[in-house]
Amino acid sequence: MDAVTLPIPIVGLQPLGDAAADACDGDSCLIPDHHEQAVINRRLDDNAV
Amino acid sequence: MSEPIKVDIWSDVQCPWCYIGKRKFEAGAAEFDGDVEVEYHSFELSPDTPVEFEGTPMDYLAQRRGLPLEQVEEMLARVTGIAESVGLDYDYDHVHQTNTVISHELLHFAKAHGRQLEMKERLLKAYFINGEHVGRIPDLVEIAVDLGYDRAEVTEALESHRYLADVKADVALAQEYGIQGVPFFVIDGKYGVSGAQEAATFANVLEQVRSEKEAV
Repeated sequence: MDAVTLPIPIVGLQPLGDAAADACDGDSCLIPDHHEQAVINRRLDDNAV
Repeated sequence: MSEPIKVDIWSDVQCPWCYIGKRKFEAGAAEFDGDVEVEYHSFELSPDTPVEFEGTPMDYLAQRRGLPLEQVEEMLARVTGIAESVGLDYDYDHVHQTNTVISHELLHFAKAHGRQLEMKERLLKAYFINGEHVGRIPDLVEIAVDLGYDRAEVTEALESHRYLADVKADVALAQEYGIQGVPFFVIDGKYGVSGAQEAATFANVLEQVRSEKEAV
């Protein structure tokens, strides 16, 4: 194992960036709610809903 | 000249946001006026998936989440559109849903040869764009040979699972950090950035970390 290059775990990483950024969580990669809302908004714009 | 900022990235080969996030991170790192050292780490989103999953990613998501196939297809179409916005041509019609643990072993094999970043890009492209299988040893050997590796050496490494312990060590480290989703970026061993952030966000984070390092 290339242990030399592994970071040393620190309990409680300091979070940076947008907490709502897209990520895969768990056993699949679903579209987060804000994308769902964006799609709903687009469909409303298109008079599709 | 300041020393490079180390960025450890947890990622899975079959994670659509990881490839999109990779492109955005690369763009952010290019905007950042400094050196960045990247190291990828293994994360298995679906360790219980069989290598020979019978069905498409649409089938997989529908089965796992109990969602209507139509809804899953719509979701993947949207991911495909977002990927296209960063120059990635996802082809979900030809993606082979599989178990990625051996592809992670191949990534560690490449890392041992100092070529991890090249292999990471090749495997993501294989899965999302080329429609190649990234779960079976013979397919992964062909990918490695395509990159110029010795066929016998890579075959032996994968068949003996020489790097499996390294994969599991990465997964264990992710658990220690409390990482639940990917992509996940650990910057300078202290800062955690989750998800496919915008390029400007990555650039700002790198600048912030450098400023804090220099202030110490």
